[in-house]
Amino acid sequence: METAELQEKIFAYMEKMKGKKKLKEKDVIKALAEETTEAPDAVKKALRGMIDVGRLMYSYGGGASSVEIPSEEYLREKGLIK
Amino acid sequence: MSGKYKTPLLDELEKGPWPSFVTEIKKAAKKSPMADDELGQLEKSYRTKRGYWKHGGIVGVLGYGGGVIGRYSSLPEEFPGIAHFHTVRINQTSGFFYTAEALKMICDIWDKYGSGLTNMHGSTGDLVLLGTTTENLEAIFAEYSSRGWDLGGSGSAMRTPSCCVGPGRCEWSNIDTLDITYTLTQEFQDELHRPAFPYKFKIKTAGCAVDCVAAIARADLSIIGTWKGNIQIDQAEVKKYADAGMNIQAEIVEMCPTNCMSYNGTLKINDAECSRCMHCIAKMTKALRSGKEKGATLLVGSKAPIVVGSLLSWVIVPFIKVDAPYTELKDMIRKMIGWWDDTAKPRERIGEVIEAEGMRSFLEAIGVPAQPQQVKEPRKDPFFFWEESDFQK
Amino acid sequence: MALPKRQTDIGPPKYDQFIPPVIKKNYGKWKYHEVLTGGTMVHVAESGDTLHTVRVASPRILSTETIRDICDMAERYCEGYLRFTTRNNVEFLVSDKSKMEPLLKELKEKKYSVGGIGPRISNIVHTQGWVHCHSACTDASGMVKAIMDDVYDYFTTKELPNKVRLAVACCVNMCGAVHCSDIAVVAVHRKVPTINHELVTKVCEIPTTVASCPTSAIRPNPKEKTVTINEEKCMYCGNCFTVCPPIDIHKPDEDGVAIVVGGKIGSLRTSPKFSKLAIPFFYNEPPRWPKVVAAVRNILETYAKNAKKHERVGEWIERIGWESFFKLTGIEFTFQHIDDFTFARDTFRTSAAFKY
Repeated sequence: METAELQEKIFAYMEKMKGKKKLKEKDVIKALAEETTEAPDAVKKALRGMIDVGRLMYSYGGGASSVEIPSEEYLREKGLIK
Repeated sequence: MSGKYKTPLLDELEKGPWPSFVTEIKKAAKKSPMADDELGQLEKSYRTKRGYWKHGGIVGVLGYGGGVIGRYSSLPEEFPGIAHFHTVRINQTSGFFYTAEALKMICDIWDKYGSGLTNMHGSTGDLVLLGTTTENLEAIFAEYSSRGWDLGGSGSAMRTPSCCVGPGRCEWSNIDTLDITYTLTQEFQDELHRPAFPYKFKIKTAGCAVDCVAAIARADLSIIGTWKGNIQIDQAEVKKYADAGMNIQAEIVEMCPTNCMSYNGTLKINDAECSRCMHCIAKMTKALRSGKEKGATLLVGSKAPIVVGSLLSWVIVPFIKVDAPYTELKDMIRKMIGWWDDTAKPRERIGEVIEAEGMRSFLEAIGVPAQPQQVKEPRKDPFFFWEESDFQK
Repeated sequence: MALPKRQTDIGPPKYDQFIPPVIKKNYGKWKYHEVLTGGTMVHVAESGDTLHTVRVASPRILSTETIRDICDMAERYCEGYLRFTTRNNVEFLVSDKSKMEPLLKELKEKKYSVGGIGPRISNIVHTQGWVHCHSACTDASGMVKAIMDDVYDYFTTKELPNKVRLAVACCVNMCGAVHCSDIAVVAVHRKVPTINHELVTKVCEIPTTVASCPTSAIRPNPKEKTVTINEEKCMYCGNCFTVCPPIDIHKPDEDGVAIVVGGKIGSLRTSPKFSKLAIPFFYNEPPRWPKVVAAVRNILETYAKNAKKHERVGEWIERIGWESFFKLTGIEFTFQHIDDFTFARDTFRTSAAFKY
């Protein structure tokens, strides 16, 4: 699968799960590896690519780290949107 | 602007000979309205006996998931300067060695973007910068990283490794703690900056069993320098300790936990019985030196009490050679972390997982045989598991 | 002004850029050291080279102004080389012995505290407290200042049977080595937390919150999308607050501190030990916690008077027995001292031999 396509699927999954469960990076990798039959390493690489450009972000709450879709405030602060 | 708060309670803590943190906050408050509001809120805490901080959310700079700890005043209207007051963890140098030039550079940047307050150092080891705003985070990171300094770890990740002074300035160090820590920090950069673990994982390295970095109590992996072979004795120096008034019989021989020493003008050690506790070497440093074959004991699992009690690290690998480039050590750590990552529930430390899954499961996963050095005593009860492989022996 | 270009995953700069030439030359080849005074020592290398160290107290919270002052002195007397210890002291690394006297003179004039080496009290390892932590139920820095002012002589000059390691943790998360210190203060809660149900529904994951409780005191309330707490089971650890902040564990008028004793981390003579409960509770008394300070001094001086040379606090107590510790210190023994949690069965006495 092309990276861009995989990333769209990751994003769709994140949107679906938003507000339902705090997802660890590993949860996302596991879910998408199952859904797409891609190797976990490929999912991880695609996910990291999204985090690097601010399409997804790491967060912290409830004593643990998680991955989520960034708020507009975050994107503005990082200069990714005006 | 600055100096706007009356702080009668905190002022009491400027009295007395010990250096005062209140004086430090006031020094910062002369230049920073943030530090001034910190002072005001702290005075309020001293009045009401409670803190006013919230945390969470912000965790890093673009691409990272750690190194910044989001901190917000719960009273932003009363203390607007600390509405955001985030912590930035800068990965310290091995052994906390600095030059004045480097520290002044760190201060210059911090004065520009933050409160001017620091912790030298945080509990895990990082150089901690206390108090900045979300909008400054990217700038702070660009300034420091372009000058060769990176962020430390936070959250469910590898935490910033830390060590004692080691061979830099200690005759007892059996291993190169500074180089091991630097090398492991570089090895685990990805795990340190991007939280993908079940929970935190700390590594501390001590040169000997004196353990000046509290590795055995405060690290998921405690690397503690040790040796094999006989303790090297300089009898002339032993005599000098006796001549200087040391009661060698009472202070050394009788305090040896294994009773492996004797003294009647010359000091004798039955090295086969020595447990390498470091007492005699530490008390007679001119006369005694550790044996020549150097290595480390790897212990795993220590943590603070949350939530069902503190753990001290357990001996897993009694002796391992640790010489650059540390390939065997790195492989072993990756195996340990791999097993933990696959097995742990969220927020479970490796020690807790070993308790839950059984030591055997862990030892087999990392390829370490059962050895008497791993336990204080064998089990007392008659309930034990047998696996298929045991029947084939 | 444009920012410089960021770099990622570079790690810290390598330590060898920050060590003085005498360390570079004698790296790993140190022969011995001698403690010269309570705050100075000399390391001698196999080559005969020497390195003098001056150790100076720090409140750990340092302003950039103070760091610059320390750096200026390091430049004047140590070619700019300095380090920090694992207990947050500053160490000046003096390669030229003739610089010792002027350095010590300037430190004295500026009222820096030189000490912490040898069989003494070193700096107290401590946590953020009200200064900067969301979960603090006391202020670590203030208590440290009050205690160190009181035992100051044991930092600078006076000797003890062995070193005594103090620690202060502002909650049971213990971001300091309280659980293995000779004498330590840990802040504790004593009341069941208050739940803001509306916020719990909004921001907390119910299964995670339920799972966070070590005594299974928290039960889900699926109908209201919140949780309930069984008051009889709650041990006030505050772990639920960490995963779900609307469960507020803080009760300013009922929170306070406990004192624990007898821990150690070194393997010298006896195995590393956990600290054990000596005094279950003192109310918070900012700004100077006088009762806590007096209790620490009492334990310290009882140890100093009764321990053998080289015995740590925990070793001394194990030799005389805990029943004697309570007698000698005059500390009251209460139900709180008897463990009813994880380690309980290992702590009950199983011998007919004991003291009165």
